[in-house]
Amino acid sequence: MFWPLALLVAAPVMAGLGSLLMQQRRAIEVLQCALAGTLLAAAALVAGQVIAAGEVSVGDFLQTDALSAWLDLIIGFVGSSGTIYAVGYVGEEMDRGHLSLRRYSQFFCLFDLYLAAMLLGVNQENIAIMWIAIEGSTLWAALLIGFDRSKAALEAGWRYIILSSLGIALALFGTILVYYSSEHILGVSNEALRWSQLYRVAGELDPAGIKVAFIFALIGYGTKAGVAPMHTWLPDAHAEAPTPISAMLSANMLTVGVYAILRFKAVTDRSVGPEFAGKLIIGLALLSLAISAIFLLVQRDYKRLFAYSSIEHIGIALLGFGIGGLGVFAGAWHLMNHALAKSTAFYGAGLVFLRYNHKSLDRVTGLLSQMPVAGTAILVAGVALAGMPPFGLFTSEVLIVAGSYTVRPEVAYVFLALLALAFATLLYQVLRMVLGAPGETGTALGTQCRIFTSAAIGINIVALGTIGLHVPPGLATLLASIVKIFGTEMEASR
Amino acid sequence: MSLSSIDIGTQMVNLGSVLLLITCFSIVGLRRLSSCVHVFALQSVFLGLTAALVAFLTGIHHIYIAALLTIVVKAVVIPRILMKVIRRKDVDRELEMNVNVPTGLLICGALVILAFFITQPIIPLGFLLTRDSLSIALAIILVGFFMMIARKEPVTQVIGFLVMENGLFLAATAAAYGMPLIVELGVFFDVLVGALIIGIYTHQLQDTLDNVDTSKLTTVKEK
Repeated sequence: MFWPLALLVAAPVMAGLGSLLMQQRRAIEVLQCALAGTLLAAAALVAGQVIAAGEVSVGDFLQTDALSAWLDLIIGFVGSSGTIYAVGYVGEEMDRGHLSLRRYSQFFCLFDLYLAAMLLGVNQENIAIMWIAIEGSTLWAALLIGFDRSKAALEAGWRYIILSSLGIALALFGTILVYYSSEHILGVSNEALRWSQLYRVAGELDPAGIKVAFIFALIGYGTKAGVAPMHTWLPDAHAEAPTPISAMLSANMLTVGVYAILRFKAVTDRSVGPEFAGKLIIGLALLSLAISAIFLLVQRDYKRLFAYSSIEHIGIALLGFGIGGLGVFAGAWHLMNHALAKSTAFYGAGLVFLRYNHKSLDRVTGLLSQMPVAGTAILVAGVALAGMPPFGLFTSEVLIVAGSYTVRPEVAYVFLALLALAFATLLYQVLRMVLGAPGETGTALGTQCRIFTSAAIGINIVALGTIGLHVPPGLATLLASIVKIFGTEMEASR
Repeated sequence: MSLSSIDIGTQMVNLGSVLLLITCFSIVGLRRLSSCVHVFALQSVFLGLTAALVAFLTGIHHIYIAALLTIVVKAVVIPRILMKVIRRKDVDRELEMNVNVPTGLLICGALVILAFFITQPIIPLGFLLTRDSLSIALAIILVGFFMMIARKEPVTQVIGFLVMENGLFLAATAAAYGMPLIVELGVFFDVLVGALIIGIYTHQLQDTLDNVDTSKLTTVKEK
């Protein structure tokens, strides 16, 4: 049974090209909704197969293990709700006369190809093809960020493409160095680029080569993941991109960047021990936390606020992976919950932007009474992102604190202090946005926009609540297999 | 293959790599935009020839395809697109730089030393024929990186990006005897699309702003 995996990668490509060819708005809407359903079903089926069999593959081309399946679930689920949201959001822009039908279909074509590139990247055992796919997603994203063609959007897109190109070039050098070290053992062939083969022979790889390769990969893919100090593109891109894209960047693309780092880390750990990569990752993670906690304080723009919060949460997840053991479990759990919560936050922010047509944090108040759906989305997501129960981010943060305390108490203290600062700032800003009396009237949203965006927000909030209280058994199996990829058994770390 | 021919081969590959590095330095030193594009095209020709040489010496045939693609795409197609952008917008003037030329060249010299320092521990891993190219490849990548930061004009940033890609290609071909063909093709495709997208951006930015100078892109910033 390989078709769910093939469908998962092929469906967005077909839907994207289909949208470009179609000349009717209604047809594109139906196609995109069908894609949303397909993505969700295919991701769930792939994950189910991986839970049952451990691995799924389509010939030589696509391979999925537990970690890939985890990313499939994240990208599939958030991609699905994001597609529905985009139908509402971009449709509203079109109703207002900001977009022509041609631009409308171009948007969905780029959007779908962007999802497809990420799905190809994570369901791939070949590290070089993974690079090609991730670079592809970077390029589509660059076009999407500047989609509005306003001066600010073009600037943000320009900054993004220049920084990502720098980063991704360094990541390719890291990939070449891995190949340079492994081809002596595995021969000059595709085999020398496969994860499974690299894991197998990691002990024989030259430690110096792998260390240098890991550093390049960490800086390179770290740029994609928005890790400080390579994060400077991130707030601009998230603030200026059309909001469905901001949500996808935060929930999917940063996660894919972390995924790529993790793959390199798994090889490095097997070759030189977990200490080397762990230290570097913990250092960058704490730096990201510190920078985002400070910048959260001074934000005057609600989309930038959520953007800095993404840097914070990617830092938290990386800290978990850097610590290892139980931290790996917590890190993976954190990535999934963050993707859900952050996309919900951006969905809400997008509605606020459509209504008021500005992004000023100070001028937005009383959302709950004026825009109940957007208000609820921002409130629920804000509470979850601040790390309060009953949401999964609370669980993972507690686990990471506990994990780091047993390994390195000083890391735990710094982490807690930064977490408290970010918690207070974010919660204050979010509560100020949703409570109180509304200040402005703004432009009311169209019915169709309201239906689609409410559906997307509803799906996300239900999922966030469902997995908040306990880890469903299937996901627990996946998580246990992910922890095994990083070499530690769950029992050993408990 | 006799020992002496391996020696000559190694020397030739090293010569090619060094020529690449020298062209890098001349791009840093040049002040006119069109000259930068011409030197970049020359660099790509050197790269294609070096790759073809590696293919000949090792007998790995698919490197020929990559070499041919390099010359067609990077020495002919991309420079033509860039020249078109330059002519259309009449931006072929003296370049402004964040650092002046002598300082820039000194920094690039330091970057080359850094590249040799970083790669020193892993050099012995490589194949005998071409392993010294790895250090030079990293040096080219770092110099390209510097170009993207030091120059203000979008077109020179594109050239910096492409120089980095040339360095990566040298690393893949000369140091690692070529990645598998599918990988090479994928990387080529990405580079081409990347250059096109950067081109589109340059174009749109030029339409939006009167003067395209990326240091004046300050609409989006921390408030």
